[in-house]
Amino acid sequence: MAVCIAVIGKDNSPKYIKCTDEANALQFHYKIHTSIDIVEEKLNIGNKTAADVRELFLGMLYSTEEYKIFGYATNTKIKFIIVLQSSNATLRDNEVRMMFRKLHIAYANAVSDPFYIPGDQIQSKIFNSAVMDIMGLLVDEKKILK
Amino acid sequence: MRSALSVILSSPVPDNKMSHPDYEQTAHDHATILILLKPLGAQIKQKTVTRICERIIKCGSRFSVIDSSNNTREILTRFIKDHPVENNDWGDFQTHRRLLGLITFGKYENQIELNELCRLHETLKVKYVQTLYDSRAILFGPIPSENLNEPPPSFTTPHNFKTVGIFYADDLCPNLEIQMSQCFNSLFWILESKRLERSREKIDKVALLQAPFEKKDFIGLDLESRNNRERCVGRATKHLGDLCLQAGLPGDALNNYNSAIGTLQSVNDWLWLGSAYEGLCAVSALILYPNMCRNVPLQRNSSLQEGSPGKQRRGSQPTTTLCAPPTIETIKMNMPNILLPEDICKKYREAIVHYTKYQNAGIIETEASFKATRISIEQNCTLQAASFLSNVLFNNMTMNEQEKIDRFTTLSDLYTSFGYLRKASFCLRHAALRHVSQYNPNLDWQQCYNLLLQATSGFKLSLDPVEMSFDNRKGWPSIQIQLINELVAAANRMGHPALATRHLTFLLQTMYNYLTPTERKDAALQLQAVSQQSEGSPVPLVLDSGRVIPPANLTNIPRTKSFALKNLQPHLQPQKIERVKEDHGPFLFTPINFGSLERKTTAKGKVDYLWVDGDICEVSMQLVNPLPFELHVSNMRLLTSGVVFEPIPESITLPAESGTIAVTLAGTPREVGELEILGFSTHTLGVKSNCRLRHIESMPHPLYTVEIVPALPRINVETSLPRTASFSSGENIVTSASISLYGGESAECTITITNISQVPIEMIEISVQSTLDSLTESKVFKWSNENLLTQLPLQPQSSACITLYMYAAMEFVASQRHDITNAYQSQSNSLISHSGPSSLPSRLSTSSHHTKRYSELTSSFRSGTSSNSSNSLSSTRLSKLAVPIHASNIVEGQLKIKFSGSAGLASGYCRISSVFITIEMLRSVQFTNWDVLPAETPTQFYLVLDVINMTNHEMELHYTQNKCIYMEGRESCRIPIPVDRCPFNKLSTIDGAGNNEDLQKICSEHIASLADLKWQLVGTETTGKATLSGLALTQDMLDLVRMSPLQWEVTINDVVFKAQDEITCNLGECINVGVGVSNALESPLRNLILSINLYQDHHNGVNNYRLDTRVSIAGANKVILPTLQESGRAYHECRVVFLTAGQYKIDIQCSSRESILDSLTFCSELGNSGHTWRYIPPIEIKVEDC
Amino acid sequence: MKHQFSDTKPNLNIKTEADECLFEYLHGEMVNYIVGKSLEDTNDIEEDLSRLEWMGFSVGYRIIERLTREWPRFKDELDIIKFICTDFWTSLYHKQIDNLRTNHHGVYVLHDNEFCLLAKIGKSGSKQYLRESPRLLAFTCGLLRGSLANLGIVCTVKAEVSALPSCKFNVEVQRI
Repeated sequence: MAVCIAVIGKDNSPKYIKCTDEANALQFHYKIHTSIDIVEEKLNIGNKTAADVRELFLGMLYSTEEYKIFGYATNTKIKFIIVLQSSNATLRDNEVRMMFRKLHIAYANAVSDPFYIPGDQIQSKIFNSAVMDIMGLLVDEKKILK
Repeated sequence: MRSALSVILSSPVPDNKMSHPDYEQTAHDHATILILLKPLGAQIKQKTVTRICERIIKCGSRFSVIDSSNNTREILTRFIKDHPVENNDWGDFQTHRRLLGLITFGKYENQIELNELCRLHETLKVKYVQTLYDSRAILFGPIPSENLNEPPPSFTTPHNFKTVGIFYADDLCPNLEIQMSQCFNSLFWILESKRLERSREKIDKVALLQAPFEKKDFIGLDLESRNNRERCVGRATKHLGDLCLQAGLPGDALNNYNSAIGTLQSVNDWLWLGSAYEGLCAVSALILYPNMCRNVPLQRNSSLQEGSPGKQRRGSQPTTTLCAPPTIETIKMNMPNILLPEDICKKYREAIVHYTKYQNAGIIETEASFKATRISIEQNCTLQAASFLSNVLFNNMTMNEQEKIDRFTTLSDLYTSFGYLRKASFCLRHAALRHVSQYNPNLDWQQCYNLLLQATSGFKLSLDPVEMSFDNRKGWPSIQIQLINELVAAANRMGHPALATRHLTFLLQTMYNYLTPTERKDAALQLQAVSQQSEGSPVPLVLDSGRVIPPANLTNIPRTKSFALKNLQPHLQPQKIERVKEDHGPFLFTPINFGSLERKTTAKGKVDYLWVDGDICEVSMQLVNPLPFELHVSNMRLLTSGVVFEPIPESITLPAESGTIAVTLAGTPREVGELEILGFSTHTLGVKSNCRLRHIESMPHPLYTVEIVPALPRINVETSLPRTASFSSGENIVTSASISLYGGESAECTITITNISQVPIEMIEISVQSTLDSLTESKVFKWSNENLLTQLPLQPQSSACITLYMYAAMEFVASQRHDITNAYQSQSNSLISHSGPSSLPSRLSTSSHHTKRYSELTSSFRSGTSSNSSNSLSSTRLSKLAVPIHASNIVEGQLKIKFSGSAGLASGYCRISSVFITIEMLRSVQFTNWDVLPAETPTQFYLVLDVINMTNHEMELHYTQNKCIYMEGRESCRIPIPVDRCPFNKLSTIDGAGNNEDLQKICSEHIASLADLKWQLVGTETTGKATLSGLALTQDMLDLVRMSPLQWEVTINDVVFKAQDEITCNLGECINVGVGVSNALESPLRNLILSINLYQDHHNGVNNYRLDTRVSIAGANKVILPTLQESGRAYHECRVVFLTAGQYKIDIQCSSRESILDSLTFCSELGNSGHTWRYIPPIEIKVEDC
Repeated sequence: MKHQFSDTKPNLNIKTEADECLFEYLHGEMVNYIVGKSLEDTNDIEEDLSRLEWMGFSVGYRIIERLTREWPRFKDELDIIKFICTDFWTSLYHKQIDNLRTNHHGVYVLHDNEFCLLAKIGKSGSKQYLRESPRLLAFTCGLLRGSLANLGIVCTVKAEVSALPSCKFNVEVQRI
């Protein structure tokens, strides 16, 4: 499953980062930070054919031996990054898309919160739990409760 | 990209040293002849070497040769400065890795040195003997030689020196290019011969070519198997392709590679298949992108890592020739096997996948990735380039740390080249950390630091705190924090505590909001520790590399909540001395100019008050210590620009996590002009900071501007009176004085002014400000200005005294104006009333009351002159008197001392110090009631006063020269005071428009000036004077008070009548009443009616004028006097016969019948028509029954 | 204005009349409130419409995130403006912009022949409230500006009413 999910603002600064492994959070920060280079390249419409840029899902940005890093950018230039474990070979492209879709819905809801000021860090608990859900963390808790 | 089956053929442990990775390699290098340029010995100058190398590279990088079949071959060379001999081992695998040429440079002065150079050259030749085709030695000697290739005369080369030498005497090196091209040609032809040799080899006889690590793998294999034969052939073909490429025959090379690929694929020879693919890609790239060469091969430009912002694409970088790349179509016609641009990278990918199968081919794989990256960059496919580069990171070869560093820095360079600055910095940071990793035998913190510093840009980290301010901060805080921490660590370890201090300061300053409270505390403590080695100060640090680390100031610790300039204390504020106003035209100011000017200055933070040269000025601040430990801030000073300012350092200790704490920073301006307050400096945690307002958040103004005016004196003021316990707030009050005075009492107060400044006082002006009207004010406060002026100028430390005379000016007269005005109204139409209300004590209602009350009032006199017994009526009247009791009346005044001196005076400024004076005025005596009565002599009248002693003390009241009464506290009594009547000359000032009010005023002043009442409280020294000003007088009173304009002369039976004469006559007796009227005025009176009336006073307020049955009058009792000249006299006489006995009174009066407005000023003043003058008192006649 | 607060796509068939006009009433009250307040403060009406405009900006900035969620990435500026004219306008005002004009240099003029916020104030061509009607457009101007700003187009938006109930919005892109 996803080990890290990040929301990056228009200005390429982090607005929200959630890692399963908080102890190694910084490692993921680096991964996500460097992936912005590729996101920017992909969003740079100038040297691309129209077909592959129109989708909000940007596909896999790069991979390391342990992780695969996927990107997604909204029409408003908000970027979502999901880091998946490479070993998780069963995860198909469509499932990743689905994760991003959920994330985007959660984000759009978070932005609609009148207490949220666009451009600030996202601190909404609802968004947090939505992200946890995407990462499969919330499900586990529920199971434990049952 | 990586093959799943890795490490299949190679042995797990590489036993031979692998070739050094050459990350600089490009695809084009496959086609080059490798030549080593090497300076020998220590004599030759670096500059010479550089210049020579440049010339060689310029002429040799690319040259053309005509081959044996008259075709032009384009030959490329690659010059390197160093070549590990191990790299030659891979020469069979890829021929461009072989070193083919050697050019050395050396300088000699004598034969021995020449011999040494020759020896070194030969040693190098031996080192590369396996691959070397040809070599040259460029030798600089003391003298020129005739033949370039021969040593100069008297020099010889050793016999074992078998190299073509080129002998020069100076750096100009004529014909160097020709010599070099000879060398290059020679290299080509040897290469060409080798190629021909290879191409003529029998295909089935070729030996197996091997990569260095393969030697072991083939032990025990059947070399004669068909598979192996195929392998030999495939490898040989590929090898031939390499040679063709080097020899300038790309077409042949393509064909060879292609056939090799076919052969090698069939025998699964992955490694060589990979190299064949790579060859194919190299040829294609060479043809498609002929201009894609490295620009300056020998000088590796590491400054690329600095990374200029924005995307930096490396395009075609033309070197020697610039030919437009041919179109793909035409090339495809000539060379059908050439790869299309998009295929090049695909083939590279395949090659890399094949290489990954061999653990020992890691270097080859990495190099291939770099080459593919460069092609991708050339093709502007940055995503592809990035994927090749990320493949490099996959390859976890066993490398030593230095190799890792090289790999990371090359990666960084390449990432930078296509604008992936984040990736570039990521790699650079890794490279930096490799320098200090635990596996690195040569720890190099300096290098680590330098690389980390270079990495900052990619993390959007500017080391200038100003650029990292809250508004425009960029990037990724958590990563930036880590990087700064690493910089701090590296700076510490490389022994540069100043840098560590600077970076820690920066961290606390810019990242404060992103640090957790623990991290803040740790960083602050760390800073405190580091700064003990090297104190932080706000100056740029220049590194050896030339890089400047901008200053970092701690403006967050302590945090400034507010910063406000303070005006001087009110009594020290300079005031403009008001001058006679110059004419500024009809407008006080022009709104347009001033408006805009003002708006501009307020934006700049111009304060609207003044500071004074030489006087301490203050700024009040509020500070907060955000840290969880006590913070000591020392040496806080104001930062200023403009005029010279002498700040006073301040130290403060802020408790842990303090709330707002107020601090006042002070200083003394030392010049006149404009002072700009820019902020303040602090010294805390071992760091000196300049906290400029414009860099501090939420400060309303980036700076404050204050005008400094010239020095002014300061004074200390003391009074001889006790201070007021509390006084109402007033401006510039320095001291106070209070005193209690009874009404009419006077007191003195000595005010001592001491000059406590260094400047003489040259001007003092004293004025009083109070709520009193100016007239009263001038009575209450008096002083002598002349006396003060004689004491000027007042030198520093000297004093001047002035005496302030205070007088308790009070209203002694109880205010009953309301009654009086009513009385006026009622009087005007009832001058002669027959039935005045007797029950009401409206004493002014009728004239008849006068006489009556006269007797009544006098009866209550306690003074010795009149001893009539009192009657009950009067005593009740007195007890009813409404006494307005004001317990005390506080008068507050400010004695303003305006003073100035020296330069301040010259520029028109002064200071004002005020003494707050409180006078508690206690009531002494009060006059509650008054009246006037005719006196015994017509030149005087009696002023009758009801006086109350308002004090609680016994009082002695002197009311004439020799008369006085004693009064108990709060007692009241009635006193008569003889007063001279108001003479005409006083009244003559009243002009024509004058009215009753003026007359009233003059008369009451007249009384006040004559009647003086002195009081003394028995048993004390307290004395005072009560004035009678403010007495309200009715018309009747006025007539009494002032001299009558008519002088009466009444005769009864031809005897002149005197007041108090008693006239008695018998019934029926005829009395001759003669009335003489003379005009005492200086103007004539007109139309006077003189009338003589008789009446009976019933003593109950009713006068009976109807005496027709009782009295008979012979002669006119009324005559008209048309004019009475000034000083003229008129006389009238009539006779009276009383018919019944009783008391009669004769009322003689003279009235003007009509208004005489046109006649005289005096008459008009005398008022309304029908004004009447009476002869007072009326004549009383007692008629006795005989 | 229909906000889509659920995760499901809005079912356009289910709407009630109150649903449609609720926004219009609310908007009317907002305008009255702002104008009333500006009169209280004795300021110019002009100045205080900026508050209304800012409200619109804020709403636009947020709502565009939702409205473009299922939308493929825009090709260029014109693509964005087209989206604004069609889907955006339909979502908010139940109809499309009737006419779009551009000079291809950053000026776009959006014509709405029957703008719903103006539809209730008079018959077509009525001049009764013509002078006051621009205040009804301030919110929408802000809405446009906010939406475009979040999509990366910094612009100024001006509205014009010449004949009720039609109006036009002038979008002028600011090139940096």
